[in-house]
Amino acid sequence: MRQGWQMEKDFKKEAIKQYLRYFGVWFGVIGVLAALCIALSLGKRENLKAPAERVYDYAGVLTEEEEENLRSHIAQTERKARIHIVLVTVSLPVEGTEAKQYGLRYTDWERNMQDLADDFWDENGYGYNKDFEGDGVLLLHNWYPGQNGEHLSTSGRVEWAFSMYDIDQVLNAVDRYYETDPYKAYMAYVDMVDEMYGRGIRGIVPWAVILILPLVAAGIYAAVNLRQKKAANTTAVNAYVAGGKPVLNGKSDEFVRKTVVTRRIETNSSGHGSGGGGGGGHHHSRSGASHGGGSHRH
Amino acid sequence: MIFRCKNCGGNVVYSPEKHGMYCPFCESEGSQNRQESQTGAMSLCPNCGGEIPLEEHTSAGQCPYCDSYLIFNERVEGVYAPKMMIPFQMGKEACKGLLREKFKKFRFAPADFMSEARLNSMRGMYVPYWFYDYETGCYFQGEGTKVRVWRSGNTEYTETAFYAISRSMDISFRKIPVDASEQMPDDVMDLLAPFDYSQMLGFSPEYMSGFHGEKYNMGSDAVENRANLLMKADALKLLKESYGGYHSVRVVRQDVNVRESHADYGLLPVWKYIYQYKEQEYPFYVNGQTGKIVGTAPISAGKVWGYTITLWGCLTVILTLLNIIMGLI
Repeated sequence: MRQGWQMEKDFKKEAIKQYLRYFGVWFGVIGVLAALCIALSLGKRENLKAPAERVYDYAGVLTEEEEENLRSHIAQTERKARIHIVLVTVSLPVEGTEAKQYGLRYTDWERNMQDLADDFWDENGYGYNKDFEGDGVLLLHNWYPGQNGEHLSTSGRVEWAFSMYDIDQVLNAVDRYYETDPYKAYMAYVDMVDEMYGRGIRGIVPWAVILILPLVAAGIYAAVNLRQKKAANTTAVNAYVAGGKPVLNGKSDEFVRKTVVTRRIETNSSGHGSGGGGGGGHHHSRSGASHGGGSHRH
Repeated sequence: MIFRCKNCGGNVVYSPEKHGMYCPFCESEGSQNRQESQTGAMSLCPNCGGEIPLEEHTSAGQCPYCDSYLIFNERVEGVYAPKMMIPFQMGKEACKGLLREKFKKFRFAPADFMSEARLNSMRGMYVPYWFYDYETGCYFQGEGTKVRVWRSGNTEYTETAFYAISRSMDISFRKIPVDASEQMPDDVMDLLAPFDYSQMLGFSPEYMSGFHGEKYNMGSDAVENRANLLMKADALKLLKESYGGYHSVRVVRQDVNVRESHADYGLLPVWKYIYQYKEQEYPFYVNGQTGKIVGTAPISAGKVWGYTITLWGCLTVILTLLNIIMGLI
């Protein structure tokens, strides 16, 4: 009785050993990743070079109070999203020969707006995690009469996360209010960046995938491991035949008749096209940094 | 009868590894001395005199009191004398190794399934078989087609040629094995085949010492139908092989005529391991000559759930951590 009980105890121990031996590597990987996670979250991930200022109202469309409110709102959003959010308003001619006087490269409105936005970002060294190609977004709004419009410059993880559709969504949020209430338009800019970035970046691996993929993999694992190779009949057809083969006494293959059937062959051909995708408005700025972005002109 | 060691008086057994008689007590080889029962009573152990719980068809077994291996004369002599046998070529340890190798990747078996303690219950036994010889004449008549397809311009041509096929052959079958035991499952015994007959020897009781055995308990007439079916299936396959190369064949007539048949009685070596799990028996049979294994491993529901849920949990945690790490970089 005691011996049987001891045996059961040993088998349980063996079962635990087998389990730990089998999942040891998995538990090890989890331990390493968890340690990495802790180390990364404890480690400083900041850009000390970038200025503290986020709101540059050179066009003077905001009151002091509105600017303060915007700064506060941006700071709150930045903490949550871990990106830099910058707003610049100007009133500059950025089109035609007039633009050249301001040191701009082109006579084209859109390309000059892009240059201005990218240069402002790069020269100030913005970017949540680093001062070159760091994570963040900058809205440049030009209020110059007849050249009113915005350009959104994206960098780092925001560039990676924002498609042209996302950029349009942010600019549309600004467009909705800029004429009647610039402050409301820029608050909407900050909110929309937070929302669109939240959708894109916080789902590097979407939660649906994190929940479903392991479930499918575990199901496949169980199904594969439940299968057992059954013993098959391995006796050769001539295993019990004396000499290994029969004695052939007679063999005849006599041609009897022939039939021929004809069929007309129909030929056909077809083709198809395809589309593409990627980070919205990808390009390189004058400093060589990678940016994304897009503009709306009014 | 019992085989005693001339040197130490211990019970001598047949060793598959040494291919000869061996005394496990003094390690002498070929030192066996056959000793008959003094009382003549089959149910009394000739070594210790203990009463053996003898089953109806047992021809060799082990005394439950002194562990001596006994061979019961009445069941290996006279009408029960086997003409031939293949002695065990594979010992218990080798057989355990094969089973462990086969099931080592089966994760969901209970933890003790391949444990030393359980595998030690494995028993080697000589299973009674009838071996059938047949002299047959086989005939086939049918219509075969050969198809050729080619194109010319926009037209595809399909030519079908018809042939009258006939074959006539003599096939001599030797030693088609059919087990003569009611206890052994027929399908499993068929799957354990083939045995290598080049190691077939004349019967000798020495080979049974150290193992269990049964005398035939089904006559050759009772099981011949199975041999006949196996023979006919093989004959038809051989006929079919002889008219290969046709696109399709329609059978008009085929016959397998038995001109002469003959049956001999013999013994074949089989290791048997019965694993008990949740009040159910899981039998495993291993060909004692070739090592072929027949049997299905039990499934531990606890292990299936435990391992699957752990894997699911590990994957979920790893993906979550990766997601967090990517967000932090």
